[in-house]
Amino acid sequence: MTEERPSTHASAQIPRFAVLQLSGCAGCEVSLLNAHEWVDRFELTYMPLVSSAYAVPEVDILLISGGVRTDEDLFHLKHAVKKAKRVVAVGTCAISGGVANLGNRDEVRQLFLHQEERLHVPRLLPKSRPVDDFVPIDLYLPGCPPTPELFMAALLDPKNYQASLTVCQECGRKKLKDMKPDHLVGFQKGNVDPEICLVNQGYLCIGTSTRGGCRAPCTRAGHPCVGCRGPSNALIEKDSKAWLETIQKVFHTMTNVPDDELREALLSPQLALFLFQFSDYAGEDKAPRSKDKVL
Amino acid sequence: MTTLTFPLSRIEGHAQVEIDIQRGKVVSTRFKATELRGFNVFVQGVPAEQMPVIVPRICGVCSTAHHVTAVKTLEDAYGVTPPPLASRIRSLLLLGQLLQNQATSLFIFTMPDRVDVDSVFEMDEDVIDPTMRFEISRHALKVRELGTDLITLAGGQFIHPVRAVVGGVNAGIPAERVQTMLQRLEEGLPLACDLFDAYWELTNRMKDRIGSWGDDQPAYYITSTDRVRPDFNTHEIRVMAPSGECCEIFSPREFKDVLELKEREYSYAAETSYKGGVIRANSLARANMTAHMGTKVANGYLHRLRIEYGTPAHPIMLFDLGRGIELVYAIERAIQMLQQPLEGEDTDVPYTPRDGEGYGLVEAPRGPLIHHYVIERGKIASAEFVIPTVHNMRAIERALKVAAERYVHADEVDLELERAVGRVVRAFDPCIACATH
Repeated sequence: MTEERPSTHASAQIPRFAVLQLSGCAGCEVSLLNAHEWVDRFELTYMPLVSSAYAVPEVDILLISGGVRTDEDLFHLKHAVKKAKRVVAVGTCAISGGVANLGNRDEVRQLFLHQEERLHVPRLLPKSRPVDDFVPIDLYLPGCPPTPELFMAALLDPKNYQASLTVCQECGRKKLKDMKPDHLVGFQKGNVDPEICLVNQGYLCIGTSTRGGCRAPCTRAGHPCVGCRGPSNALIEKDSKAWLETIQKVFHTMTNVPDDELREALLSPQLALFLFQFSDYAGEDKAPRSKDKVL
Repeated sequence: MTTLTFPLSRIEGHAQVEIDIQRGKVVSTRFKATELRGFNVFVQGVPAEQMPVIVPRICGVCSTAHHVTAVKTLEDAYGVTPPPLASRIRSLLLLGQLLQNQATSLFIFTMPDRVDVDSVFEMDEDVIDPTMRFEISRHALKVRELGTDLITLAGGQFIHPVRAVVGGVNAGIPAERVQTMLQRLEEGLPLACDLFDAYWELTNRMKDRIGSWGDDQPAYYITSTDRVRPDFNTHEIRVMAPSGECCEIFSPREFKDVLELKEREYSYAAETSYKGGVIRANSLARANMTAHMGTKVANGYLHRLRIEYGTPAHPIMLFDLGRGIELVYAIERAIQMLQQPLEGEDTDVPYTPRDGEGYGLVEAPRGPLIHHYVIERGKIASAEFVIPTVHNMRAIERALKVAAERYVHADEVDLELERAVGRVVRAFDPCIACATH
């Protein structure tokens, strides 16, 4: 073998990464652009949002965002993973479908079938699917979207990244023993007390069992946690029932909200955002994702 | 007949351009959106009060516009008027979006075209003219981050905001956080101006090199911004005729009477027209339909644009320059707004949810955005999203045709066509995730 020239050698040291965007909102990409410390430490070789390159080259890390919605998504996904040493599923859509799961309800899927009239566009798959239905994933980075800090951790050193166990621990609002609401208030309301726990104020906040690491921007701003990061490590290898029971226990302890009311609020299939929490971390018929693989 | 297909990059979402050629003549040009998620369908049955948090997920680039429009749509249905402080915070939120979006479109999407590189990350060491060396990528990312931080300050979450609620906002903004942001915006203003000056200069050089971007002809223009100075938290939409006269003023609930909205079989996005004519939305529409910017530095830039190109102006390259003027405006206006207290007044008014119908409107960076919901038993029975990019669909295809006719010859196709296709589409800064929702 010939000796490598120093300049080539130096550039070989810089890890290369690519970003494959399937059907999603590009919010993950926007968040990644805010995490710009990678600019000096990585070479971005493919990310159609910011660069004119039309195929994924050989890379060290492949980040995949968005769900698998069209036959074209599936084609790109299968080709791209072959080029990567490490594959990271980024964001709720790629990991569990996220908000797109709303479209997987049967009555909604019927309406989707009308799209068959269109010509020469990628075909819609029967359902929006998470990426690991089709390809193996080395690391999951949940969040809608993951914060820039989490993106950097995923790129640099996911194994040694330490985050709080839950959003609740990062929120910093005061929990009061003697402030027990009798009913849930609306989902989104004005006049939120800036200091006191949102559960004490009657909001259906599920930050107590949602995975930490986001630094609680929503609850700090006065909006209940909707669970976009999925279950904490204590729950992630169990099924979604265990997660629900944990949330119910929290509300039993901290509120006087009747069981029926709480169950309806948590379990209604129409409660769209809470689909984040049903995201199949312990899949319908798949083994749960190992907590060692989730950042 | 031959069909040339061009994949697109440096735009939001998945789309491609097709050009049909027969014996050296351009037969048709199509701008195809190739993705679909179906928000209008799958929000059916969702509790209405959750819309302001669900619909930002239509698009991570335009999330703020959807968030605010959703709240305004519900307020219209419930008959609620938010207090002044809430409206100010929402306006600030929309300025954050404008800043972030225009910085992204200028520096990340279109600036690489000016020096013929693939991405902004290749612009630091490899600029054609060595006298114009700049750390574009670092500075550009810094300027666009100001927008994200303004969204976070005013909106709570950094991509999908949560602060606006029916009746107002859920909290004011504490003075100490305002101070930090003010300082950063003041530092960022000269940086943004320097970048925009370089952008304008590179744009002029490219104009000298290639002439037109593709379509310099008049069209109808549409915006909801104020006629005197920019405003993004808006209530009515105006249409300007190709002659420059205002020919229509309408409320969002009248949009179907005024605009023709049509689905197309070759794309997942619809298109609109006005009396059968081509419409243009986005920055150039606002530049043509607003008297002045209302802030000092941005006004200077607008004045320069008008001296160089007249008013109303029609070349599509001016969409790009218009975005730069608005980037500077967004920083200046945010500085003005942050100098007023953003706490200590009522943040919201009480309301009672009721069934019925609501329409909401904001001026998003890409043009007027309308939401329309029908609410039954507290749940969404049907929803419509009228997306600014959809107004530009025919304008994009017309401009593509002009560009294609220029580069497709009887015996050969000039390879400049590929670059021209990118330039044309990016001038309109389409958002495909929104257009197909």
